[in-house]
Amino acid sequence: MHIIVYLCAGLMLVCGVYAVMSRSILRSAIGLAFSSAALSVLLYAMNAPWASVLELSVCSGLVTVIFISGISLSHSPKMEIQREYQDYERSRHLPMLLIIIGVLLAALAIGLGDDEPQAAVSTALSFKEVFWNTRQADIWGQIAAILCGGVAVAVLFREERQEKK
Amino acid sequence: MTTILNICAHGFVLGPILVVLVCNLFSRDFARRHFIWFAGVGALWQLFSAIAGYVAMRSAEYNVFDFAVLWNKDAPGAAYFELTPQKFLFLFVIGLVAFISVLIAHRTIDFNRSSYTNLLMIIILGMNGMLIVSDLFSLYVFMEITGICCFVMIAMFRSRADLEGSFKYLVMSELASIFILSGLAFIFMKTGSLRYADLSGFTPDGLGGLENVLMQFALVLLISGFALKTGAVPFHSWLPDAHQSADTSVSVLLSGVVIKVAGIYGVLTIATLFNDLRPIRASLAVLGLLSIVVGALLAYRQNHFKRVVAYSSVSQMGYILLGISTGTPLGIIGALAHVFSHAAFKSTFFANAAALHEQVGTLEMDEMGGLEKQMPITSFSSVIAFLSTAGIPPTAGFWSKLLILLALWSSGQHVLAGAALLASIFTGTYLLRMQKKVFFGKPRPELADVKEIKGTICAAEIILTILTLGVGLCYPFILLYLRAHGLI
Amino acid sequence: MSFASVLLITGILMIIAGCWCLIRTFHMLKITIGIEVAMKAVTMFLILAGYKSGSVALSQAYVITVIVIEVVVAVVGTGMAVGLFRKYGSMDVRNLTRLKG
Repeated sequence: MHIIVYLCAGLMLVCGVYAVMSRSILRSAIGLAFSSAALSVLLYAMNAPWASVLELSVCSGLVTVIFISGISLSHSPKMEIQREYQDYERSRHLPMLLIIIGVLLAALAIGLGDDEPQAAVSTALSFKEVFWNTRQADIWGQIAAILCGGVAVAVLFREERQEKK
Repeated sequence: MTTILNICAHGFVLGPILVVLVCNLFSRDFARRHFIWFAGVGALWQLFSAIAGYVAMRSAEYNVFDFAVLWNKDAPGAAYFELTPQKFLFLFVIGLVAFISVLIAHRTIDFNRSSYTNLLMIIILGMNGMLIVSDLFSLYVFMEITGICCFVMIAMFRSRADLEGSFKYLVMSELASIFILSGLAFIFMKTGSLRYADLSGFTPDGLGGLENVLMQFALVLLISGFALKTGAVPFHSWLPDAHQSADTSVSVLLSGVVIKVAGIYGVLTIATLFNDLRPIRASLAVLGLLSIVVGALLAYRQNHFKRVVAYSSVSQMGYILLGISTGTPLGIIGALAHVFSHAAFKSTFFANAAALHEQVGTLEMDEMGGLEKQMPITSFSSVIAFLSTAGIPPTAGFWSKLLILLALWSSGQHVLAGAALLASIFTGTYLLRMQKKVFFGKPRPELADVKEIKGTICAAEIILTILTLGVGLCYPFILLYLRAHGLI
Repeated sequence: MSFASVLLITGILMIIAGCWCLIRTFHMLKITIGIEVAMKAVTMFLILAGYKSGSVALSQAYVITVIVIEVVVAVVGTGMAVGLFRKYGSMDVRNLTRLKG
């Protein structure tokens, strides 16, 4: 089980770094989608099925669609020439930096010693009970967030109309 | 009495949602013409229910009031909303600043009025939610809602400057949210729960090597995230751009409540939950002092009216952080008092900015001058706000600064108290420069036909001036009242 | 090295990558992608925290709320980037120099 987790974590990291460093914005969005898919498998392997399915359908699906529609709305004739953004040159040092920091952190973790084994899984409450019975304040928060998103879309994506310059 | 308290408490959550639903039922034109009724009623309801709730709570001798909206809170482990007397001050300030914002928006906003009403109500809901939850994660959720609504409100007119300021604010605010959420995850790793009740009995000693490092890292992340939301130095770079580019009614909200509720209240919660840790207090003191000095120095070089006021906000947030960093009850009372007086005088400045923008047409200080005779009410309210910021009696700002300085002195931080006192001289100088450039001096010929502002903005200025002076004059009674309740 | 440490290190590296993207890049949509990458790492931290302290169900509830907020932030970020594109004709952050001081 741990092998799957390590593999998915590594895949998520690699796809994330690819999304950051890629020259083309479209490939960056696709890299983000793959990263979300890897995270979804990781969540499933860690006994979190509800979070896994929501992550797969929402983040790997909806957010990618939003980004790609944003890209297509901003299509300019110069989109093929991404060199003007100089993203790859500016983040060329990123993998090396990450490897160095990773090695340092690994040395720190080994030096600090092994921590205690994980606590026993408390099977007192299933997810359904926890979510609907103890997190009601968050549910109100989610309602407010969705209202907020609706108003944001209505304001930001309106057609041009007497705007100030 | 309990029914009044119940109505007020439920109204904090359900009231804004009700206004949004009702406002969207009517046609667009009707909502546009009568928006001041919807938004104004919403803001006034918040204001009065804060006062009524406080009175009801005091007379019923409660210290803490738990309630739940549409669910059963007595089931084991259920979440609940919590009201204590200190939170009513923040709720009152939210209502006051929202009302002032509506008064200014009546004049300055023309064709986006229903979006403005919706967004204002959701921001009020977000901030109320931040104040009344009893769980750190719900605090984060409502803070994000407030932030997202703020971004959209700043960018409401979609001009170039609006979108730019809003985008910069989005980037910095999301960085802060990532820090805060990571800090919360690390704390959750050890304690298994994020409620206030479970965390308040927690001491971080006795942890192993890796976990100790993680806890300290989590606290660093949390403090940096909330300091970024407050606009403390060195995280202040988004604040002037966001204030300058937004419409004035939105700047009032931003500077008057959002940086306080999202930032200062977050810092206050963390400092109260993990109170015994000396590094937290030291870091807050450093942040506070840096903010006061750097904010005042940077305000000196600005030429745009709203940018001076924005840097002044950075500086005043430093005072509040210094008050929290003492850790004593007097310091926290001083910080809360300064929250109120800052809301009053900063809103006055922004109301003046709106008046100047409406009548003169520009906010560059080089193009204004000698407006004292032509705009007497604006000039007088600006002078009162300046006196309150610099801490000169008999305004409310004098008393709140005095409380903070007393708290610093009595907790042994003599150096900090002296530095804060010296820094108020800086505060006086840059504000005096702003006053001189805009209002005093010789009248300019091209501004000869500028007349005084009328209508709701004038009413806003008068209300705020009366509030600043009145609270300042009545302060001894307030201090006696607090002493009678054993808070000082 | 324990299980938690590996995941922690991976998460921290991902957050560094996301914040680097936020700060250094010139393309406005890529800044939003950087925010999303960092939020994925934070999601992993939350589930790891639940796994270690025993209550995975509670951390799933947290993750669901974080995902909802993540979507709304992505929508607002993309909307603003597209709005700025319509004004300036390109997605370059270096064009945003109107507010100075």
